[in-house]
Amino acid sequence: METYEFVLPSMAMGLGVVIVLFAIFYYVGYRSAKMTSSAEDLYAAGYSIGPVTNGLAMAATWASLATFMGVIALIYALKAPFVYLWIQWALSIPLLTLLYGSYLRRMKAFTPASFIKVRYGNEAAIIIIVWMCLAMVMYALGQMIGLGMAFEVLFGIDYNYALIIVGIATVGFITMGGMYGASYNAAFQMVVMTLAIVLPMGAIMKTMGSSGWWFPPLGYGDLVPGMMAAIPDFFDMRYDYRWYFALIPAFTMGPIALPHLAMRIFTSPSVKSARWSVVWFILFLGLLFSGTYTAGFVGNAFRAETGMQIQPADMTIFALNVYYNPAIVAAFVIGGAVAAGLSTIGGNLMAISGLIGADFLGIIRPKMESKQKMTYGYAALGVGGLAAILLAFNPPAFLVTSILWAFGLLATAVAPSILLGVWWKQSNKAAVIVSSLFCGAIYIVISPHVLGNIVVGSGLVAALGMSGAMVTVPLGYASIIILSLLFNKMGITPVDLETKKMVDRIHGWGSDYDEARYNGTIMPIGVVVISAAIFIWGLQPW
Amino acid sequence: MKDKLYKKELFLTVLFFVILLVFGHCAQIFVLFPGLQGGNMWGFPVHYIVPVLMGWFGLLILTIIMALVLNKFDDDMEELAESIEKKNSK
Repeated sequence: METYEFVLPSMAMGLGVVIVLFAIFYYVGYRSAKMTSSAEDLYAAGYSIGPVTNGLAMAATWASLATFMGVIALIYALKAPFVYLWIQWALSIPLLTLLYGSYLRRMKAFTPASFIKVRYGNEAAIIIIVWMCLAMVMYALGQMIGLGMAFEVLFGIDYNYALIIVGIATVGFITMGGMYGASYNAAFQMVVMTLAIVLPMGAIMKTMGSSGWWFPPLGYGDLVPGMMAAIPDFFDMRYDYRWYFALIPAFTMGPIALPHLAMRIFTSPSVKSARWSVVWFILFLGLLFSGTYTAGFVGNAFRAETGMQIQPADMTIFALNVYYNPAIVAAFVIGGAVAAGLSTIGGNLMAISGLIGADFLGIIRPKMESKQKMTYGYAALGVGGLAAILLAFNPPAFLVTSILWAFGLLATAVAPSILLGVWWKQSNKAAVIVSSLFCGAIYIVISPHVLGNIVVGSGLVAALGMSGAMVTVPLGYASIIILSLLFNKMGITPVDLETKKMVDRIHGWGSDYDEARYNGTIMPIGVVVISAAIFIWGLQPW
Repeated sequence: MKDKLYKKELFLTVLFFVILLVFGHCAQIFVLFPGLQGGNMWGFPVHYIVPVLMGWFGLLILTIIMALVLNKFDDDMEELAESIEKKNSK
C-alpha cells in the first residue's frame, strides 16, 4: 500500500500559530505574576479558580501530547480495548474529589503530601514526596521529549535545538505565572486543543461524505463498516475479564494520587465549587477524548478511500488536516498539539514546585519565612523544568518508561496512604512507611523495566504495569491495614489524639470529636479480604 | 443526628465510588455477559458505543447528581457543626 507522509504545507503558518500561542501564554504568565504575592497564590491560585475555568484546566492537565500524537497509533494497535482503557481516565478527578480531594481542600493543603505530613509526620511525607516527584519527572520528561520530537518533525529542526527552544520557552512562562498562570493558561489551552480536534475533523468528515460531520465526537457511525473492512477484529473483546479488571488497580486507582490533578481541586474557592468543577471537567474531557476516537476512525476511512496509509500513525491527525483542510487549519491543529503538551508540563512543574517548595522545605526548614518559601517555590519550578529539558537530551531508559507504568507505582506506594489516612484513624505512620517502601519496591522489581528476569505477567500487561499493579496495589492496602492493627497494638508510632481530631475536622465535624468515627475494623478487614482475593488472582499466570 | 450523618457520609461515599467504577468501566459488563454484545446503536456495536456514552454523558449526569447530593450533605454537616459550636460556647 502507498504511504502518505505528513509534510507541513506552510512552515511560516505553523510557526506563526505557535509564536502567537506562546505570546498569549507569556501574556497570561505576566499578568498572573502580578497577582501572585503569597504561597496561597503561588500554589493554589489564591483558592480562586471558578468551576468552568477549573473544569477546563483539569481537562487540559489530563490531556497530554499523546491525545494528538500517540493515541491513534495505539487505537490501531490495541483496538477497542484501548478505547476502554482511555475512557476510564475520566474517573480520576471525580474519584479523587469524592475520596479525598474535598477533605484536603477543607484543610487548605497545597498538595496531597501536605496532608501526609500532618497525618503521618515528616518521614512518611518525605517518602511520598519522592514517589510523587519521580512520577512527575517521568511525566514531564515524556511531554518534553514529545514536544522536542514534534518540533523536529513539524518544523524540520534538529531534535536538540528543538528541545532547547521549546523547553526554555515553556519553562519560562510556567515559572513566571505560578498556579494562576498554570490555571488560566491550561483553561485557554483546553479550548484551543478541543477546537483543534473537533472542528477540523467535522470538515474532514463532511468532505468524506460522512453524515455525522455536524457532531464529530459521536457522528462517525457510518465509518464503522470501513473500520471493520480494514481491521475486522477491531471491536472484539479480545482479552479475558482479568485484563479489563486490571485497569482498575493500575489505571483508575493510580491517577487519583497524581499531585497535579489534586492541586487543581485545591485551587477551588470552596469544596462545593470543586464538585461543580468536576462536572465541567467531565463535559470537556469527554468532548476531547471522543474527538480523538473519531480521528482514529477517520484516519482509517482515509486509508480505505485513498488507498494510502498515513506514516507514521502518530501523525494521523496532522496528515488528515494537511490532506483535506486549508494550510491555516493544519497549522492551528499543530497549535492544539503544542497546547496539549504544555498544559501537562505546566501541571507537572507546579506539582514539583509545591512538593519541593512547600512540603519538603516545610519539613527541613519549618521556620522559613513565607516570602523565602515562595522564592524557593519559584526556584523549584524553574529547576524542575530545566531538569526535564536536560534529561530529555539523553534520557535514562528507566525514566522514559511509559507514564502508564508510573500510575501503577502511585496506586501502590501513594494512594493507600492518602485514602486510609483520610478514612481510617488507625492508619499508622510506621505501617505507611513500611508499606510504601516495600510495596513500591516490589512493584518496581516485578516490572520488566528494572531487573527483567523477575516479572509478573508478560508483554504489554507487564510493560504497562497492569499485571504488577494487580499484585502490589492490593498488597499496599492490605499491608497498611494489617501492620497498623499490629503496630497500634504494640505501641509503635501510635496515632495521637490530635491527629485523630484532624481526621474528624477535615470531614467537616468542626470541633466535635468522636473516637468511634472512622475508627472501625469491619470495613478495613473487608478491604483486606477483597485485596487478598485480587492479589491471588493477580499472581495467576497471565 | 450525628450518627445519622456519619452513616450517610459513609453510605454516599461507597455508593458513588461503586457507581463511578461501574460507569467508567462499563465495558466489563459486556465481557462478563457476552450475550449483550449483539446489537447496534447509531451505527456502532453496542459494546463499543455504550461504554463511550457511559464514560462521558453517564459520568456527566452522575457528577451533577454527586455535586447536588454531596453539597446538600455539606450544608447539613455545616449546620450541625455550627449548632455544636454554639452549644459549646454557651
